[in-house]
Amino acid sequence: MSGGPLKNKVFVSLLGAVIFMFFFSFMLVPLYNVFCEVTGLNGKIYGPSDFFKKNNETYERQVNIRFLSTVNGSAPVTFYPSETNLEVMTDKVSRTSYIATNNTNKKLTLSIVPSVSPGLAAENVKKIQCFCFSEQTLEPYETQEWPVRFYVDSELSQNVNNVYLSYTLFEKEREEMLAANHEH
Amino acid sequence: MSAVVENHNHHDDHHHGPKKGIMRWLTTTNHKDIGTLYLWFSFAAFLLGGAFAMGIRAELFEPGLQLMDPIRYNQLVTMHGLIMIFGGVMPAFVGLANWLIPLQIGAPDMAMPRMNNLSFWLLPTAFAILLSTAFMEGGMPGFGWTFYAPLSTNYPNVAYFVFAIHIMGASSIMGSINVIVTIMNMRAPGMTLMKMPLFVWSWLITAYLLIAVMPVLAGAVTMLLMDAYFGTSFFDAAGGGDPVLFQHVFWFFGHPEVYIMILPAFGITSHIISTFSRKPLFGHSSMVYAMVSIAVLSFVVWAHHMFTVGMPLVAELFFMWATMLIAIPTGVKVFNWCATIFKGSITYETPMLFSIAFVVLFTIGGFSGLMLAITPADFQYHDTYFVVAHFHYVLVPGAVFSIMAAVYYWLPKWTGNMYDEKMGRLHFWLSFAGVNITFFPQHFVGLAGMPRRYADYALQFAEWNAVSSVGAFLFGLSQLLFLYIVVKTVFAGKKATPQVWDGADGLEWTVDSPAPYHTFDVPPKVK
Repeated sequence: MSGGPLKNKVFVSLLGAVIFMFFFSFMLVPLYNVFCEVTGLNGKIYGPSDFFKKNNETYERQVNIRFLSTVNGSAPVTFYPSETNLEVMTDKVSRTSYIATNNTNKKLTLSIVPSVSPGLAAENVKKIQCFCFSEQTLEPYETQEWPVRFYVDSELSQNVNNVYLSYTLFEKEREEMLAANHEH
Repeated sequence: MSAVVENHNHHDDHHHGPKKGIMRWLTTTNHKDIGTLYLWFSFAAFLLGGAFAMGIRAELFEPGLQLMDPIRYNQLVTMHGLIMIFGGVMPAFVGLANWLIPLQIGAPDMAMPRMNNLSFWLLPTAFAILLSTAFMEGGMPGFGWTFYAPLSTNYPNVAYFVFAIHIMGASSIMGSINVIVTIMNMRAPGMTLMKMPLFVWSWLITAYLLIAVMPVLAGAVTMLLMDAYFGTSFFDAAGGGDPVLFQHVFWFFGHPEVYIMILPAFGITSHIISTFSRKPLFGHSSMVYAMVSIAVLSFVVWAHHMFTVGMPLVAELFFMWATMLIAIPTGVKVFNWCATIFKGSITYETPMLFSIAFVVLFTIGGFSGLMLAITPADFQYHDTYFVVAHFHYVLVPGAVFSIMAAVYYWLPKWTGNMYDEKMGRLHFWLSFAGVNITFFPQHFVGLAGMPRRYADYALQFAEWNAVSSVGAFLFGLSQLLFLYIVVKTVFAGKKATPQVWDGADGLEWTVDSPAPYHTFDVPPKVK
């Protein structure tokens, strides 16, 4: 080829395509989050949205909320809901709590990620106060009670009578975790 | 292959022949040399990946843990997948592309010969990095070839894996750019796009797929690296990331990738079936349109790999229908091959045997793919041996058989010698039996609920696993016969004519056998 590949139109456009696709893969991250936020998919709990609110008659009714807890990996924490289920009326604010105990002699920083199942109910579970809104710290051997105040709005699909609210607790010290993992 | 070396003496003396010794291979810019390097590299990777597979099947021969602990087992599974995909199938197709595309379009060489040399030599570098983890504390990656985060981000030696993938990706991207630029700029006068041979067409489409998705793979492993070492949380829920996002990004690359590994096989099969039926291919342009449709559809079906992550019904339905839609262009291709064979004057030389087996067994793999595409059924099949059986049916008697068919078909052109037909047929029948004995029973244990990626299994799966292992050893050993046949043909054999096969048609059959070191200095005229 005369004049080097950079003078060749096909070559340059292909090179451009490669660079574009590389950055496109990173663009998938915000795209994915926006998509989940708009549609309320993936059990993510965000603000109100009316994407799936088709002709649902709204009226007050009773819903059963079940509380679940998971401790990720081997975080040295005992973590459980103070009550495992609650009958609530839609649009009425309810209160419950989770109990967490630090089983070590070190201060722990924790983050707790909520998830709602079924996923389409996620946008109808509105939390007013939650320990998942910020990081939590536990002093050595400390036990804390973490309150959650929430309501289920009346636009919840009529097909849903049981909603599962699940929290997964993660230990924040990633560096230590990584170091421990790399040792074996 | 040394037969090529001797031949340059007969050629015009204004050309410099290849250098002597090792420097010829390190510095070569000749498409035939580079094609040969790729093909031998992929053969070596095929045997190494096969050795890992033998380890897997030996462990699974009976229930319980016999030979290795589960960590070692997972490492073997992971490396088997990575080596076969990135070291076996893909470089084999790139090697065939290097040898055949310039010959089939009447070009003197690839458009960017130095980049061609670089894209080959990056591959051994990448695999040296990947395999070096075997000698390190923490060992080889064991998170599966799909490296789902955050499992992979918490794994030892993940950085070596990431860099190896980056380098392989760079090699593939350069190879694809080279293929497209060659095809777009260097076709012989008179060769319009629709007159191009189907192998060239299949590679043109494959190269576009590679350019679209290899950078996405590079992005995915970069995010992985950042999660593992730089404190980001793309895929880590603790920091606000999302593990499901990883699966979306990975399969956005992963699904086009599986077509990258099968489209060139479609091209090869079309040539061979037409040659040995002594008929022109039925539906040349419909074959092209079918491949283009398959390539386009491959971008909108990725989530069928992850039906069970909890997607909404709308998405499940969309990905189910989109996936099933692919059966239509694929069906067009299978029917075209059958129509080509119909009323042909068929002979069953080794390449034809492999190609017929390809059509039949690939179709079986396609049908199990349709079963997996049915979302509610997939909840049952997901992560069972049924999936293992499905993708091995499309990759082994699919992609790998087509590569073997291509080697037997063009070997006389490359070396100037005919291979031993009896040995070739023996190799075919052993491979055919081996493949089916290995993978067919995996459908049964999969439907019965045997999960994949475990070193041990429940007792009721014992018989079929023993059968499967016996088949795998048969298949593995018969590849040593393949190695023997190829090496023997390189050094000796009945001399091949330029046309080699009675019914062969195309520019590559107009040059001498073996193909001279330099061909088509003056572009041929295509009517």
